[in-house]
Amino acid sequence: MRKLAVDVVVIGGGSTGAGVVRDVAMRGYSTVLLERADLGQGTTGRFHGLLHSGGRYVVSDPLSATECAQENAILSRIQSEAIETTGGYFVTGPDDDPAFADKFLEGAKATGVPAREISVAEALRNEPRLNPRILRAIEVQDGSVDGWQLVWGAANSAKAYGAEILTYHSVTKIDTADGKVTAVHCTDLKNGEDVVIECGFVLNCAGPWAGQIAAMAGAHPVDVIPGRGIMVAMNHRLVNRVVNRCIYPADGDILVPVHTVSIIGTTDVKVDDPDNLAIEPKEVQQMLDAGEVLIPGFRQSRALHAWAGARPLIKDNRVAAADTRHMSRGMAVIDHTTRDGLDGMLTIGGGKLTTYRLMAEHIVDAMCEKLGEKRSCRTADEAIPGSESGKNYLVTHRLEDREHDRLDDQIICECELMSRKMFTEALATQPKGTFDDLRRQLRLGMGPCQGGFCSMRATGIALESDHIDIERATGLLRLFLKNRWIGLWPILYGDQVRQTALDNWIFQGTLDVEHLPQPESEVAL
Amino acid sequence: MSRVIVIGAGLSGLVAANRLAGKGVDVTLLTKGIGGLQLGQGSIDVLGYAPDRVTNPVLTLSAIASARPAHPYAAIGAEAVHTGIEYLKALLGDLLVGDAEANYQLPTAVGAIRPTCLVQPSMVAGNVTDGARFAIVGLRRLKDFHPKLVAENLSRTPLPDGGRLDARPVMVDVPARDGEVDSSGLTYARAFDDPAFRDRFAAALKPQLNEGETVGLPAVLGLKDRGAWKDLSEKLGHPVFEIPLPPPSVPGMRLNEALTALAKAAGVRVVNGTRAVSARVEDGVVKGVTMATAGAPREFTGEAFVLATGGFESGALAMDSYGSVTETLFGLPLQGLDDGPLVHGDYWSAEQPLFSVGVRVGKDMRVLDAAGAAVHPNLFAAGGIIGGSSRWAEKSGDGIALGSAVRAADSIVEELA
Repeated sequence: MRKLAVDVVVIGGGSTGAGVVRDVAMRGYSTVLLERADLGQGTTGRFHGLLHSGGRYVVSDPLSATECAQENAILSRIQSEAIETTGGYFVTGPDDDPAFADKFLEGAKATGVPAREISVAEALRNEPRLNPRILRAIEVQDGSVDGWQLVWGAANSAKAYGAEILTYHSVTKIDTADGKVTAVHCTDLKNGEDVVIECGFVLNCAGPWAGQIAAMAGAHPVDVIPGRGIMVAMNHRLVNRVVNRCIYPADGDILVPVHTVSIIGTTDVKVDDPDNLAIEPKEVQQMLDAGEVLIPGFRQSRALHAWAGARPLIKDNRVAAADTRHMSRGMAVIDHTTRDGLDGMLTIGGGKLTTYRLMAEHIVDAMCEKLGEKRSCRTADEAIPGSESGKNYLVTHRLEDREHDRLDDQIICECELMSRKMFTEALATQPKGTFDDLRRQLRLGMGPCQGGFCSMRATGIALESDHIDIERATGLLRLFLKNRWIGLWPILYGDQVRQTALDNWIFQGTLDVEHLPQPESEVAL
Repeated sequence: MSRVIVIGAGLSGLVAANRLAGKGVDVTLLTKGIGGLQLGQGSIDVLGYAPDRVTNPVLTLSAIASARPAHPYAAIGAEAVHTGIEYLKALLGDLLVGDAEANYQLPTAVGAIRPTCLVQPSMVAGNVTDGARFAIVGLRRLKDFHPKLVAENLSRTPLPDGGRLDARPVMVDVPARDGEVDSSGLTYARAFDDPAFRDRFAAALKPQLNEGETVGLPAVLGLKDRGAWKDLSEKLGHPVFEIPLPPPSVPGMRLNEALTALAKAAGVRVVNGTRAVSARVEDGVVKGVTMATAGAPREFTGEAFVLATGGFESGALAMDSYGSVTETLFGLPLQGLDDGPLVHGDYWSAEQPLFSVGVRVGKDMRVLDAAGAAVHPNLFAAGGIIGGSSRWAEKSGDGIALGSAVRAADSIVEELA
């Protein structure tokens, strides 16, 4: 058993937890972040990639709109490397009510969300694939964000301030004494070792899993109702700006260009278990129909991958009216002192990726107040490591990099222009990682071939690195192919069927990968 | 016009065209580009798994033919496969060795041991035997072959006939082209065509080899020079064998180039470069197939048509976003669509039924409808467009292609006569 002692344990390695651990560390507390899987493997990695301008909320939720607009500007600056400032349009579809755009413009003015109506002709000139029958178009400052880079950026910043980030550490128990949280127990899933962390405070940032964590500390049930949303990534950037329907927020009304793809989403279906999110065929059809409204011919373009995420919506009747100062419509800090008579723990729920920094500021402010300390938040003022230049991401960056090193290094993933050096360096920092862990940082296998060509190369290179043995290498290949398929089969149609046929020809036909020695148990992490 | 139009230039299309032309029939071969041979492993599979590992492919396929009426081998039959194999061997001379009664068991580029029937001579020394000692040699600048992955998987695999072999990885760094670190298999194959390159390569590798070792190399040992592997073996003083890579497949290209050259020499007119987009049928009889040629579409008319267009991988079959599957040229009736979901979510369990969808054929390779009647009296099918098999998992695709191609060609010859 390993023992640690810190001021604050942060539970959950999504955007909220990463933002919180950075804030906590920057305020001078010693801290550890615990995440049962990889950073950004839950809700954070399973979203649109949309950095809200606030436009989506100007009518339905004005406070969120203002927060989004402010945070959008802050994040574009401090995490420039993770964010592409694509800009966005709100367009009125042929059958949508054109009057909503007037409400939209009024709301934007009132909430401080920059917005400007442009002519349909200008919108079509800039985004030629847009439905030519749109009625109105409003330009906003939407962007796209790589959730994994955002989270890793925050985590790396926290590390620079002395925080420890423990991924694949699953919380098993939370100790309390005299009505106060005293320690968190967890298991290192990679080697089975138990770890006990004595602490003065626990910040529960487990999102859809926050209820499970709160229960471990003996708190009254925290009612988390995960809302499942599906997303479909389409090959290519069908648009270069975020395109939203100018309607009251609904399903499938946003198309976001992220890296080399564009992502349509999403749905909202209440589910019981955030660990079990199906991608229903009818929801896929719903997304394709919705895409067709924005981009005629959407169904003929190639879908690459689908996924489902769980929104961390907290419905909690126990939150006292006095606690609402830390609440906005989008986020809620639950004070377990007033609610459960339990000191030393706060739970945060709700929120959205765009406002993750602000959520962190709120919960850490609340913690400082409880501790009777005045330490102010500085997270908005300082760029995270890698974003010091303030230069925003461009989709052409990798191409530019490869132009420079193409004579010195191999391209291991042609779809995503990932070099061999990028892979080996990421592997060295995560020698126990799976290919999916590396994928989240490198986009390995996320392009059109969905791993058809790169996964065998990745396996060979990982084995040659001597971090892993042949059984694990082969197991990792099996795991990667299996996991890619989870997001492929629900959207398997059109050219992706053709690609899959080729991939199967390679793996089954030529490589006979099925007849490698079968593992006694499959590699899972 | 020609008397016969063959559509598709994979193994089945090339064999059908050669066989027809060899019997004096005027043939036009329509193809969008290079056919499927360059995507495969460059050996000839007949039957590798059923589902257990197969040692005598023709014998086992007879059993499949009687047990599984929907399988292409049920229509094709062992005799036609035999005929196809002998025909192909005769066509290609020293490019293929082996016989229909036995499978080789050859290493793959991930180190699995794969059964296959006819192989190129450059692959033979890889046939696994108890106690063999392999040096698996990678090229630092070729990213599609990782010798440690191959060697360590081979070493831990019990051999099909019992026993073990001992394989170890060796890495050498000989550039195919100066200053290039990311060379394709094709670039290396062209380099190995050059005797001077083989000298350099042998000089770099030889000191790293141990007495008694057989040398496994990525299948890039020459594209034009069919003796390159042998010359290298002599220079090294060790037996060598080639291990096929993911596409582009150099051994597949050798077969493709040889069969295409033979077809042209036999008088086949090859129309290459655009897709066949539509067919004209009058009174149930196929009259012509139109290619989307530059300038204006162009129709090719004929008396008989061989559909050798492949499956989903080539676009011969397609599934739209609503899940409906079509044969894209003639809109032919398909088998395999009515037995439940076409795809499922478990990658490592049963085959995805989608990839067994295809047309149904009779013994003469005419395309049949669900009732068993010919869809068009002059339309025949060959190769991957025929449904009912999991050809990649079974390792049966080439045998199906060969058997159906000779059957289709022979039926046509008989009827035209």
